[in-house]
Amino acid sequence: MNRLFWFPVIVLFFFTAGVLAALFFRLSPAEIIAALGSEETLFALRLSLITSVVSTLLSLILGVPTGYMLARTQFPGKTILDTFLDIPLVITPLIAGVGLLFLFGQGMLGEPLGQWGIHILFTPWGAFLAQTFVACPIVMRSSQAAFERTGPRYEWAAATLGFRPWKVFFRISLPLARQGILAGTILGWTRAMGEFGATLMVAGAIRFKTETLPTAIYLNISSGELGTALSCAWVLMATGFFLLLSLRLIRQAPRPEMFPSR
Amino acid sequence: MAAELPLFHRLLLVSTTLLALTIGGPGEALSADLLLFAGAGLRQPTDQLIEAFEKQAGHVVRVTYGGSGQLMSSILASGQGDLFMPGALFYIEKLETMGRIHSFQKVAAHTAVVGVNKSKADLIRSFDDLARSGVRLALGDPKAMALGRTAQTILSRSSLREQILKNVVVYGATVKQLALYVAQGDADAAIIGRADAFQFKDRIRMIPIPEKYFQPETIAVAVLTDSKNRAEASRFCDFMASPESIAVFEHFGFLALTKAVQRTDP
Repeated sequence: MNRLFWFPVIVLFFFTAGVLAALFFRLSPAEIIAALGSEETLFALRLSLITSVVSTLLSLILGVPTGYMLARTQFPGKTILDTFLDIPLVITPLIAGVGLLFLFGQGMLGEPLGQWGIHILFTPWGAFLAQTFVACPIVMRSSQAAFERTGPRYEWAAATLGFRPWKVFFRISLPLARQGILAGTILGWTRAMGEFGATLMVAGAIRFKTETLPTAIYLNISSGELGTALSCAWVLMATGFFLLLSLRLIRQAPRPEMFPSR
Repeated sequence: MAAELPLFHRLLLVSTTLLALTIGGPGEALSADLLLFAGAGLRQPTDQLIEAFEKQAGHVVRVTYGGSGQLMSSILASGQGDLFMPGALFYIEKLETMGRIHSFQKVAAHTAVVGVNKSKADLIRSFDDLARSGVRLALGDPKAMALGRTAQTILSRSSLREQILKNVVVYGATVKQLALYVAQGDADAAIIGRADAFQFKDRIRMIPIPEKYFQPETIAVAVLTDSKNRAEASRFCDFMASPESIAVFEHFGFLALTKAVQRTDP
């Protein structure tokens, strides 16, 4: 039985490996090295890393407490709110982008924000916002599931031992839900790194200003420059792979002893 | 179970026969299945004309819309498809140098205008007003978009290139994106296709671009060398270049080639 299960594993592996190999063998090593060192690729990599890290952090700040609230509290309309917060996952990125464009455009928030000197549209902030919009629900959903799995029993116990609520959250709930939150962070981060449709609408496709890696890929595919596009794709995939791998390794590291026994 | 086998066999036989009939051999197909790569900006007239062509000729035309450069990449990468109709002749010429174009016919002209948000109509009354300070201009990416290239040519020929470029607040990757920015008022103006401005005519005012700066892009439809249905594909080209088809293009804000050429003559 278990041996049979290797079959889909092998199919899946060769499916992914086949796509990667097909992308790889299109380019000569010289082309890859030239495109990797190009200013455009490096700029896009830097912008993608900065925006995706910051948007993942914001997603954690917003998503983890929201997930905790949804896991621990009951209130009227909870099911509706719960479902509502998932909507960014189901609307296509392009429509999310148009929605963000309308919201932060001249008709609505654009003018008041502009008076305070905050410009979202056509700036890297637009990319950050679009990425946060798609990453948040992922982080929130994984955190909620993680908090639900651990249950409130340890929290009650800690509270009876005199822990204040915030201490219960940071010392008990959060460490217990660590794995699930980390998994959500990984997924949210990769989603933010790869976000394109919404970013294109909100930030535009301004070379050397709002050009994230996916935007660079799109612009170069559009101009028929497959070499640069594929190299950017390789940078995106390699970066993603190493980020995922390092986070997985952290996850597998032995858990800190939560209740040190003396 | 055993009693069902003959039925299963019969079904298999019927389906293989059907499959063989639909696939057919080369040359003996009665109705061809053509694959067209068309510029996204040409969608409105193209959809309408394909329907008419399918009725008239009995062939099926499947169409993929996208940015012209992106379509060119797909053609080069896939080695498939019968027809290519980009937003500018440039892309056909580029494929032609690679030996990927069998033949092509010119259809209509894609003219550029300055699309201005109606609330800014007082600020921007002419092309030169694009250089006024405070104007927020949207342009297409010069490499990724046919009209992005056109816009750069227009700016280079005008004497105001540097001042106008200073006013660019965003570059877009598709022309409809630029039209949306102007229609929403997030940009005051953009250099877009006449047909795109036409689509938002209740929100966007069209300002002509001086003829000396500007050469209308020619829309042409080409038969690809990859095509296995060259005769049918050529027939589609003839159909698209017919006066009736050109009238459909004009209906959506494009210009007939003859008129466009007259307009640019000095």
